[in-house]
Amino acid sequence: MSTSTLEEEVAPPEVDADKVREVLEYYWAKEWTDGLPVVPATETYVDQFLATVGRDPEEVLFTITHLNRRLTVRLAAINAAMAGCRPEYFPVVLAAWEAIAKEPHPARGIWQSTTGTAPFLVVNGPIREEIGLNSRGNIFGSGFRANATIGRAIRLACINVFGLHPHKLDQATQGTPAKYSACIAENEEESPWPPLHTEYGFDRSDSVVTAYVIRSVMHIEARHTMEPEQLALDFVDSIRRTGALIHEYTSALLVVVPEHAAVFAAAGWTKDDLRNFVFTHAVRRRSDLVEVGKDALSQKTRWRLSSSHPDSMPDTASASDEPDVVRAISHPSSIQIMVAGANNAGVSAVVEVFTLNPPREHPYSYSKVGGL
Amino acid sequence: MATHELLLDPTGTDDGAQDSTLSPRPVSLRGLTIGLLDNTKPNSTMLLEEIASQLQQHHGAGEARLYTKDYFGTPVSDSLLEQIVDECDVVITAVGDCGSCSAATVADGIMFERAGIPTVSITSDSFLMSGRAMAQVQGFPGFDFYAVRHPMASLSAAEVRERALTAMPDVLRILGVEG
Repeated sequence: MSTSTLEEEVAPPEVDADKVREVLEYYWAKEWTDGLPVVPATETYVDQFLATVGRDPEEVLFTITHLNRRLTVRLAAINAAMAGCRPEYFPVVLAAWEAIAKEPHPARGIWQSTTGTAPFLVVNGPIREEIGLNSRGNIFGSGFRANATIGRAIRLACINVFGLHPHKLDQATQGTPAKYSACIAENEEESPWPPLHTEYGFDRSDSVVTAYVIRSVMHIEARHTMEPEQLALDFVDSIRRTGALIHEYTSALLVVVPEHAAVFAAAGWTKDDLRNFVFTHAVRRRSDLVEVGKDALSQKTRWRLSSSHPDSMPDTASASDEPDVVRAISHPSSIQIMVAGANNAGVSAVVEVFTLNPPREHPYSYSKVGGL
Repeated sequence: MATHELLLDPTGTDDGAQDSTLSPRPVSLRGLTIGLLDNTKPNSTMLLEEIASQLQQHHGAGEARLYTKDYFGTPVSDSLLEQIVDECDVVITAVGDCGSCSAATVADGIMFERAGIPTVSITSDSFLMSGRAMAQVQGFPGFDFYAVRHPMASLSAAEVRERALTAMPDVLRILGVEG
């Protein structure tokens, strides 16, 4: 965690606390917050953010046409300042918005949806160290300003710029804690594999933000095994859960801890070996789907429902050689793999990547920090 | 002493144009073509057809034409909007019974009104606030739409018919014709 040198050298500042509270109350009264206090953003302060990127402040980063709203570079900077970002984080926030803008679902209203998804960011490359992004312990938890505030910069702009206030335009039935903030970094230094962004053709020395639309983060407790197959099947069991299925398929980002990655690497497994193993084994028996009433598709919406429903039609697997084996994942490449977390235990996670119909071969988008 | 500066507005909404003018209302529905815009959500077709049949039987409305949206979560496409505006005199659209589709149903209604077609948008009452918020961002804060009792998706045909009958006074009020 970064500590301001000011704290060590000088006494705590004296403030007009009533005035500070008055400012915070103003933001609450305007509903320009996620419920937590925000940092006051004024022209001079926001200019420091804009100075970190050589971009026209009026350039539009992301438009949700049907909401009649556009996010400009300047609005992204105001919301980043309010979220508590330091100005030097802003190039990452900007790249995050560029990545989000390439995702298909946010522009089509998914953040108004009852499904309750959240944006989820992964940062790779040297910028992680430069701004103090945590990649090694409590990665989904609190305590790190860069992670906490970069993710929050996205949320505040969703609320303020796109009007996605809960109970109003945001109709999430339950939502997810990730809606406050969700920004992690890859622990590239303790990974046996090439980092995520090099899979897209970037160099290790590039800094890149990958954006996902997610719902759940599920932990995989597995301290007991050195067998790669056992370990991979433990991941598979969570990935193929029936509760994940809206349409036919799901997608996943495996956030593997260094200890688990080492088990796979010691057995000679590459990322593709793990990906292909998970793809092959992420199947359900048709009887499992019958039990939960999800063994067919709605003709109109292609949501999973029971074959006894009048609107039902057979799913894709029904027409295959093995109609009783139903795939939960459509393409091996819709499983992403990265390494993050402390190197202190066998506790990994599966991030459930939101998957509609048709399923996406690559269910994420990315953008390089600092442009091309 | 530090200089004082104003706090900045983080919303960027001041440039949004306001246009909350309804299209001209018909004197009566006699002979008018009713456009039914189905957003594909379960029971929408049945609800719309039942309302159309009521308008035909009791108010002399003419032909009813059924149209289907590509995707329920976003507003109607420009080409379908144009086609419906060409072919119909009034529009009923349903049913916004989810987060994105409730807002989209209200946005559709506003787009038809601005294109000169009196329109009844139907959401479910669980999504009243979503519809109102959409009207706000579309620059039409007071837009009047009908919120049918939730849920819609799981109803039988008889229950859908009962929902349609309950809706009729509001459908007529929004279209500006006497019940």
